[in-house]
Amino acid sequence: MLTMGLDIGSTACKSIILRDGEQILARSVVPLGTGTVGPRKAFGEALDLAGVARSEIDRILLTGYGRFSFDDADGQMSEVSCHARGIYFLLPSVRTVVDIGGQDVKALRLSEKGALENFVMNDKCAAGTGRFLGVMAGVMNVKTEDLGALSEGATEEVSISNTCTVFAESEVISRLSAGVRLADLTAGIHASVAKRVASLVFRGGVVRDVALSGGVALNRGVVRALARELKIDVLVHPDCQMAGAIGAALFARQQL
Amino acid sequence: MAGNSAGETPGAPAQKPKAPLPKSRALVNEQTAGVYARAWEAHERGEPVGWSTAIFPQELCETFDVPVLYPENNAAAISARHMGEPFIQHAEGEMKYPINICSYARLNMGMADKMRKAESIQTQGIDPAMAPPAFLCLANNSCTQLMKWYENLSRNLNIPVFFVDCLFNYSEEEPAAHKIAYVRGQIENCIRQMEEFFGKKFDWDRFLEVQRISQTNRVLFNEIVALNARKPAPMNGFDLFNYMAPLVICRGKESTTVILTELKKETEAHIAAGTSTFRGEEKHRVHWEGIACWPNLGHNLKTLGGYGVNAVMNGYVTAWDVAYEPGDLDGMARAYQVSSTNSLTTPGIMKKRIASIDRFGCDGMLCHVNRSCKLMTFHIMVGREMIEEEAKVPVANFDGDQSDTRVFSEAQFETRLQGLVEIMSGNRNKNGNKEARHA
Repeated sequence: MLTMGLDIGSTACKSIILRDGEQILARSVVPLGTGTVGPRKAFGEALDLAGVARSEIDRILLTGYGRFSFDDADGQMSEVSCHARGIYFLLPSVRTVVDIGGQDVKALRLSEKGALENFVMNDKCAAGTGRFLGVMAGVMNVKTEDLGALSEGATEEVSISNTCTVFAESEVISRLSAGVRLADLTAGIHASVAKRVASLVFRGGVVRDVALSGGVALNRGVVRALARELKIDVLVHPDCQMAGAIGAALFARQQL
Repeated sequence: MAGNSAGETPGAPAQKPKAPLPKSRALVNEQTAGVYARAWEAHERGEPVGWSTAIFPQELCETFDVPVLYPENNAAAISARHMGEPFIQHAEGEMKYPINICSYARLNMGMADKMRKAESIQTQGIDPAMAPPAFLCLANNSCTQLMKWYENLSRNLNIPVFFVDCLFNYSEEEPAAHKIAYVRGQIENCIRQMEEFFGKKFDWDRFLEVQRISQTNRVLFNEIVALNARKPAPMNGFDLFNYMAPLVICRGKESTTVILTELKKETEAHIAAGTSTFRGEEKHRVHWEGIACWPNLGHNLKTLGGYGVNAVMNGYVTAWDVAYEPGDLDGMARAYQVSSTNSLTTPGIMKKRIASIDRFGCDGMLCHVNRSCKLMTFHIMVGREMIEEEAKVPVANFDGDQSDTRVFSEAQFETRLQGLVEIMSGNRNKNGNKEARHA
């Protein structure tokens, strides 16, 4: 039994094909979000990697911000449920999932059996989201995916006092003009994101274990900063970026 | 696009005719139009028209038979029709009010300033257009920001305010005797001041009659609301947002008794026939918290309906349940201090919500984090934990505003609602369906 989960985010698309809801056959990440060729590309790449045709997939489920905009699927579910399910599949000890998406931050509470019990999400503000990191990377002329490694060379943390993305961007520009080191500035940016995210996580309540989901979890600097803010270890699975897609594929399996 | 104009697409399907309004809704529209028309007529005759906060003791002006309009109700109506932005922009721009204050206040103060500068509201296609006020009625029982809003109106328009200062009940379940005496004294003082301002004596017999009508109307409304505890509910819970208008603007009038009697009859007919104004299958019942997101009411309604979610009850519409015995002025003074739950403590409010969630058989709670109404919203930040623990239902928040269109995001609303629906579905599979108590 083959199922596919396609997570159409605002900045990237992730697809996964599962056999019998257990074995990952193929995974694809395309750094293009909804409204672009990203969803179709991620969809096609996963099929090619698994060496199967669309007709061989028993059920395809969509999730993510663009979940209503792709017609070659059998259904959709919210990214809230899919990230919870996906992380429980990857890290069964986790009770609190933090997902930093392109434009949403979520703190999810899971039951011992992995069921989503509750969630809190950010308000209508880009502070603390993946978009915030993307904007700051643009100002510093570095790739978003390189921010984590860059911050490892920090000797101090440059404080970013603004949480608003627009004002923080101006602040970063002024710090750059003042000649601060990129590594120190990046560490400060990570701390800014972590503070914002931690306040949301505290609002939902912190229950061990805590895991970070989504592409931002691959940024080691953010993981370190968040662990420091939460005063707790934050687990990260190598497939963290795929968690939403995995969850969708698991729900697709359940629906068969 | 299909249409009836000469340029319509050949062969396009004809537009589905709109279902006729239920008689009760037509009566509400007629009543509202009548209230505004009467105010304009009075204004044109040079007679005083009042602007009042939503939970001011309306019995006074009703007894004096003086027309009164309600800026909060007007702002809601204008926002629902997407006509509020020019006034909000005027308030923030020319008048220099910050975005942080209530959007009803911004909208209304912007409108009042445009009136002051002799810009005719009536000719700008604004519907419903308020007649300019000659006096103001202010009670701060639901919000303290109302005081600055009305103070500014009073200063800018150079008109008097009849003020009833209500004390919040942060440390007690019931208002203490001195608080009741304080409010009663102010009501009596308002009557004296109004006698002078209107140039006529207060008719205490008529006052008693108005009190009786007001009580009949609030009891009728409560009975109608209680009918929605039926499963499935006979009404789409959002209907309550529309039917609360007669209670807000005409609570002391017999025309409201006629409307609510008709609505009760229609609702009972739905129960008898097993039908509902909620379209489709009622898969989930949620308790709505907060003022409606008026500019996005249509989107909210459609999205909720798409997931089979009926917001069967909300804590907002109970604010006009001003309960007292006719003739008991102390009772009336007490009632005006407690009808809005905004005047209570967070545990006090949540206790009411928990009871309501149980009574209406709700599977979850959907909270409008209303950027304008911080007083109502901030309770829920802590209160949601009480709801989750006591009522054992999941809670989801979404950002919005009662009038300002810049806050709400359709995609965010749907993701939060869908997440809530998925949790409620999971709970249902786990626990079985929660039975509502039948009214």
